[in-house]
Amino acid sequence: MSSILTYVAISEGKVKRSSLEVLSRSKQIADANGLTCTAVIIDPSASSFASTIQQYGASEIFVVEDASFDKHRNAPLTSALTKVMETSSPSVVAFASTEGTKDILGALAANQKAGVVADVSSFDFDGNKVSAKRPVMAAKMMANVEVEGSPILVSVRSGSYDLIEASSEATVSNISVSVDINTLRATLREIVSATGDTIDLNEAEAIVAAGRGVKDEEAKALISELADVLHAGIGASRALTEAGIYDPSLQIGQTGKVVSPQLYIAVGISGAIQHVAGMANSKVIVAINKDPDAPIFEVADYGIVGDLYKVLPPFIEELKNIKHN
Amino acid sequence: MKFFVCIKMVPDVGAPFQIKDGELIMDSDRMVLNAYDASAVEEALVLTEKHGGEVEVVCIGSAKASETIRKALAMGAHKGSHIVVEGDNNFDSGSYSSILAAFFKDKSYDVVSLGKQSQDTDSGLTGSMLAEALDLPYATNAVGLEIESDNLVVKRQGDTGQEMIGLPFPCAITCSNDMNEPRIPNLKGIMASKRKPIDTIELSSLGLSEGELKASSKVTSYEHKPARKAGRKFEGEADEIAREVAQLLDTEASVI
Ligand SMILES: Cc1cc2nc3c(=O)[nH]c(=O)nc-3n(C[C@H](O)[C@H](O)[C@H](O)COP(=O)(O)OP(=O)(O)OC[C@H]3O[C@@H](n4cnc5c(N)ncnc54)[C@H](O)[C@@H]3O)c2cc1C
Repeated sequence: MSSILTYVAISEGKVKRSSLEVLSRSKQIADANGLTCTAVIIDPSASSFASTIQQYGASEIFVVEDASFDKHRNAPLTSALTKVMETSSPSVVAFASTEGTKDILGALAANQKAGVVADVSSFDFDGNKVSAKRPVMAAKMMANVEVEGSPILVSVRSGSYDLIEASSEATVSNISVSVDINTLRATLREIVSATGDTIDLNEAEAIVAAGRGVKDEEAKALISELADVLHAGIGASRALTEAGIYDPSLQIGQTGKVVSPQLYIAVGISGAIQHVAGMANSKVIVAINKDPDAPIFEVADYGIVGDLYKVLPPFIEELKNIKHN
Repeated sequence: MKFFVCIKMVPDVGAPFQIKDGELIMDSDRMVLNAYDASAVEEALVLTEKHGGEVEVVCIGSAKASETIRKALAMGAHKGSHIVVEGDNNFDSGSYSSILAAFFKDKSYDVVSLGKQSQDTDSGLTGSMLAEALDLPYATNAVGLEIESDNLVVKRQGDTGQEMIGLPFPCAITCSNDMNEPRIPNLKGIMASKRKPIDTIELSSLGLSEGELKASSKVTSYEHKPARKAGRKFEGEADEIAREVAQLLDTEASVI
C-alpha cells in the first residue's frame, strides 16, 4: 500500500509540536485515501520518541539513530531521509517548515527527483497529486498550487493544523545509515547564540513581539514582564534584531519565523507587510502603538492606541489580577 | 576568489495588484532585483573587495531582466550572464535550478551564492537544489560570511540559534537579507555598468529546451487572503483602555 511519510523533527530533546501537527494532517489524508501513515525520526536517541509519535496515528515508525545527528548537518540528514524513502517508497513526504527543513528540502527533492512545494498553509493528496495553498508575495495573497511527482515533498507552516490524537499500534523499524563524519565537507563548528531559556516561537501558545518602539532597557523590561505573566515567547521585528536588541532567531516575518500562536501581542511594531507575513495567522492579535494610523491596526483584533510606557504597566497589572483570580 | 551570484527579477511585493478570475494582475510592472539576491551581491562585493577576486552575476529571465543585471553591475559586479527565456514560462524552483546547473557545469568558481528565497514566491528551494545538482557542500540562510584560507565560514540562522558552518571551496550558499544593507548604486557605478559585459545565453546552447524544464508544481489560481475580522481600536486614557483590553482578552477572546 502506498504511504504518506511524515518527518518528525526533534529539537532540544523534544518532539516538535509543529511536526505532530503535520503528522495529524497526514493521518487524516491517509485515512481518507487508503494510504499508510508512517513517520521517521532521525536523532541520536530517535527510538525514545517513538511512543510519543505513536499517539498521533503513525502505523510504522522509522527510526534512524546515529551520533552524527546530534547537531544539524544537512548532508547526513539528506542521506538518512534518502535511505528511508528508498526503503519505504512513500507517495508523499510531509515536513514541518522549520529552518532545518528549509535547509534540506530542495536538496532532497533534487536528489530524489521529487515534486516539491514549500511552506504551505494547507495541503491534500488525491493519490496522484498534492494540492496546496500557500501564501505568496509577502503573504499578501494565497496561491493554489498543484504538484506532481513521485514522491512529492511538502513542508507545512506551523500552526496550520490542530493536533489530533489517534493512538495506534505502530511497528518501529530501525534503519541504519553509516555516516562517516570525516567525509562530511560542511562542518558545524558551533551554535553561537541559542535562544536558550526563551520559548520556541514555533511552538508557543502566546507571543509578545517587540518592535522599534521598544528602544531602551525600561521598555525591554516591560516586554519581559508581559511575556512572564502570559508564559509567552518573546519575538521581535527586524528593526530590533538588526539593531542587535534581540537575538536574530527571534525575528518574526517573511524572513524570520512564521508563527501562529493563540495570542500575539505586537508592541511598538508598525505592521510592515514583511512582518505581518509572519504573524497574520495568529488567532488573536493585540497591537499597542502610539500611531493611530499604524498598519498593524488593520490586522489587530484589539488595537490599543497609546504609548507603550503608559499602556504596558496597567495592562500587565490587570493581566496579573486576572491570572490570580 | 571567484563569486557567482544568481539573481532574479521579481515583482515588487509592495506594488498594487488585483486578482481577477483567479489570475494575478499586477497594476504596474514594477520589477525589482530580489531583495535577498541583492544581499548576496552585496556580500560577494564586500568579500572580494577585502580578499581580492571577481563577482559575476547570472540571471534567468526575459529580455527585461537585463535591467536587473545592470543594477547588479552598477552595484559593482564585474560581469553578467543573461540566460534568456520567454516571459511567461511557468518555471518552478526545479526548472530554475536545472538551468543554473547546466550553466555552471563547465564553469570554475569558489562560491556560488543565491538569495535564500525569492520575495514573490518565498519558496526557498532553488539554492539547495542547485547545490545538490552540482554536488557542492552548502549552507542556507546565511546571515554572515567570512573567508578563511581554505574555507568559507558561514553563520546561518537555524531554529535554535546561529550555526557556524565551515565550507571548503567550491561551495554554495543562500543569503538572508539580514546580513547587510545592499549598497545603492551611485552615478559612477551606473555609468560604469553600461560598459560592463553581459553574455546572452540561449537555453539551447546549454543543451536545454523549455519543454524539458516542465515544472513539477504549478500555480492554478490566486486568491485573496481571508480578511481578518475587522478589529476594534481603543483610544483614550492609557490606563483605562489597557485594563479594558486585558479584560476582553479574558472574557471575550478567552486567550488568557
Ligand atoms: C525582503 C524583506 C524582508 C523583510 N523581512 C522582515 C521580517 O521577517 N520581519 C520583520 O519584522 N521585518 C522584515 N522586514 C523589514 C520590514 O519591512 C520593516 O522595516 C520592519 O518590520 C519594521 O520594524 P518595526 O515595525 O519594529 O519598526 P518601525 O516600522 O520603525 O515601527 C515602529 C513603530 O513603533 C511605534 N512606536 C514608537 N514608539 C512607540 C511608543 N513609545 N509606544 C508605542 N508605539 C511606539 C511607531 O508608531 C511605529 O509604528 C523585511 C524587509 C524586506 C525588504
